[in-house]
Amino acid sequence: MTIIVLLPLLHFVFAVLCLSWQRGTRGIILAALLIDTILLGVLFAVLDQAGSISITLGGWGRNVGIELVADRTSLVFGFLTLFLEGSILLYLWREHLQPYFFMLLHLLLGAVFSVLFAQDLFNIYVIMELLTLVSFLLVGYGKRPQQIWASLKYLFLASLGMGIYLLGVAVVYYHAGTMNLGLIATQLTEQQDTTWVLLASSLLVTGIAVKAGIFVFSLWLPAAHASASPAVSALLSGLVIKMGVVVLLKLAAIFPLSGSLLVLGSLTGILGIIYAITTYELKYMLAFCTLSQIGYLLIGIGTGSKVALSGTLCYAFAHGLFKGLLFLAAGSAIQATGKKDIRELIMERSNISLITRAALLIGTLGIIGLPPFAGFCGKALLNAGTQSYVTQIVLALLSFGTVVSFARLIPLFRFEGGGYLPRTKSLSFLILALPIVLFFPLTHLFVPAWQWQTSLNISVFIKNLVVIGMGILLARPIANHFPHLEKRFFRLEEAAVVILSGFFLVFLLLLFA
Amino acid sequence: MRYRRIGLIVYATILVCCFCGLVIAFFSYQEPTRELGAIYLSRAPSETGAANIVSAIYLNYRLYDTLFEILIFSVAVLGVRFYLSDYREIVEKIPESQIVRTSADLFFPPIFLIGIYLTLSGHLSPGGGFSGGVVAGTALLLCAVALGANTVGKRFHEPVLRWLEWGVLLVVLSLPLLPIVVGRLPFTELLPPGTMGKVISGGSIPIYNLLIGIKVFIGTWVIIHYFMRHRGEV
Amino acid sequence: MLMIAGVIVSVILFGIGLLGMIFRRDLIIKLLSLGLVNGSVMLCLVSLGSRANGIAPIIRGPENAGYVNPLPQALVLSAIVINFAILALALVFVMLLVEHYHSTDSQRIEHEIKREREL
Repeated sequence: MTIIVLLPLLHFVFAVLCLSWQRGTRGIILAALLIDTILLGVLFAVLDQAGSISITLGGWGRNVGIELVADRTSLVFGFLTLFLEGSILLYLWREHLQPYFFMLLHLLLGAVFSVLFAQDLFNIYVIMELLTLVSFLLVGYGKRPQQIWASLKYLFLASLGMGIYLLGVAVVYYHAGTMNLGLIATQLTEQQDTTWVLLASSLLVTGIAVKAGIFVFSLWLPAAHASASPAVSALLSGLVIKMGVVVLLKLAAIFPLSGSLLVLGSLTGILGIIYAITTYELKYMLAFCTLSQIGYLLIGIGTGSKVALSGTLCYAFAHGLFKGLLFLAAGSAIQATGKKDIRELIMERSNISLITRAALLIGTLGIIGLPPFAGFCGKALLNAGTQSYVTQIVLALLSFGTVVSFARLIPLFRFEGGGYLPRTKSLSFLILALPIVLFFPLTHLFVPAWQWQTSLNISVFIKNLVVIGMGILLARPIANHFPHLEKRFFRLEEAAVVILSGFFLVFLLLLFA
Repeated sequence: MRYRRIGLIVYATILVCCFCGLVIAFFSYQEPTRELGAIYLSRAPSETGAANIVSAIYLNYRLYDTLFEILIFSVAVLGVRFYLSDYREIVEKIPESQIVRTSADLFFPPIFLIGIYLTLSGHLSPGGGFSGGVVAGTALLLCAVALGANTVGKRFHEPVLRWLEWGVLLVVLSLPLLPIVVGRLPFTELLPPGTMGKVISGGSIPIYNLLIGIKVFIGTWVIIHYFMRHRGEV
Repeated sequence: MLMIAGVIVSVILFGIGLLGMIFRRDLIIKLLSLGLVNGSVMLCLVSLGSRANGIAPIIRGPENAGYVNPLPQALVLSAIVINFAILALALVFVMLLVEHYHSTDSQRIEHEIKREREL
């Protein structure tokens, strides 16, 4: 039971040790990886027996103290953190980085673990602010002006979002008398007059949506993830964004959010794909793709059935793996050739090492949803979890759009020639690529077998293959003749105005859905 | 271009006014069914032994939040140090007025003493580690304004400052884990509450106040020092 | 009554801070507006705990006087430190940007960055 508290606090202790003992930073992060594996293994064993465990810190009771809960969600994301931690460690093994960087890394990992166990609204606020600050400092690590401006925009918009979230917490506290999620749920069933829930849930959702990567709110995302260094982008896109989605999962369990999450998910998916198709810079395209894949997760949470929730967890795990792999591989490719545009990368592909291109291939196959790789499992579960045809059409459309935007990378995969890649980087790609390829056996750990039997049938296979085939065939004509959308919305002032409009959108959705 | 800008201004103003109106209107100002803070007011004096209930809440019942808050503060100090250390240094002009130097001489000891008092009596009256540390840090700011930041900075041995800062942070992070050694759950209160109103009472709240006070004092001084040393001009 | 007045004032201040962040082009004023936004939320939190003839929750004797709700005050203590950390780090970044571009105008900085990206 103390594991829940130990996981984040040990990471924070390691963070401080990194600064004091400057020569042993790599040893410390190896030790942290080992301890994390052991603790997560023990947690897995404990959660196999009991469904979920909880601890109230200090033994004070839920209505005065802070409660921490570990369940299947925390386990899945804990393992994702483990994989990403291992591969980032290997990727950065030979680079010259100051101990300050590793301290920020440990703080980030500790904060991620804390969000997974949090059950208290104000606790979530403080942890998300720590995540904001640490990722803002990590993005600006290189001290280039582009990075500094991107991270400053991120800080402004994230603080604004968290201010809105805190207003929501104030409303909830005044009417429910507590900030513990479980106790709020009991209050909601007991109270007669629940008109305040509308305002409170729209404020809370708007605040978290700024950090969760939903398109209308997270307009800081493309600039921040594209200008950061490769390892930081992989961590942010693969892990930190998911923490916003985890908080939305926790909120959706008590507030009536399902209809609005469905609409928001479809909106962010479609808008993200539209922007991704028209972008030719590799890292920007990957960032827009992240925005659109979050749409899958929101649709899964919004649907709410057990299979759909398993699908969300499955797809979030898979997305973290292959987005991390794609960002790391894209970073190596850009470093090897010095060019950022996809067309120029294709022309200079003989400088990119074969292993990097293989990593890009595996990542692309994962994100397209080719069976039996990682993405396919998640999409199959999501498809099976929903009964309405509209949702299935939207999911198919998102798949189609993803294939179209990634099909432009196909010329890169002609395996001839190649440059040099250090062995540690190849190992780091391997750590992420193996679970993507071997994903199906891995999912049996957290998805019960009966859900697989209902969702995997021939029609899902055929639908997927048809969508992929059509996407590859129609990729060139669509990309050439697509309308260009406004890039003005990604500036600071317009982004703040769009966040406010998004608040009204969420409010109206919650009112009518 | 101008129409676009005017359109944005009108749209944003309407949006913000609607936002404020919406929040005010939908807040539902009915009185809550029960007394909201009563549970803390009734339980805290006997369980924690602290007279200042707010201190009892954020250093005893909700200590987990305070840990993250301390981490955020340390990250801020770290960030300021990292980014400003290779900014250009400017040569300062020490103010020539005798008034500033004399008043710094006069006021530094009382302000510093007030900072220490606020830190140590956080469980008896309003105060605590955060406010006490900031007050003590601004006492040093007064000295820095009078004598120059570099002169005051040279009086501190830098490595000792760093070790103290990170050592205190390490102790604050491991104190809640200490009960595991004794065989109980982490974050439990090991020290007895004591009689309310005495200086040595309130369980481990004074210890946390002292540690947080030291950390915030050193952190405030570092931020002030770096800003004064590296402020630039447009 | 005091609580209602507190909430209304804090939401109005929130709106003013938002307008400041959107319309003023100077980066330092955007920073101050961000501070105002965070401060107004803290004001809202504290005013939710107020009551008529309330006194500070410092227990001085055994009688049960009308103490104010202590929980929002503890939350606001954390929020103040977080606000301070955000403003300090944002100010450092603004200083770095001004050093590079020699202007605090956000539109001009965006324009320069877009130009550098296209080069």
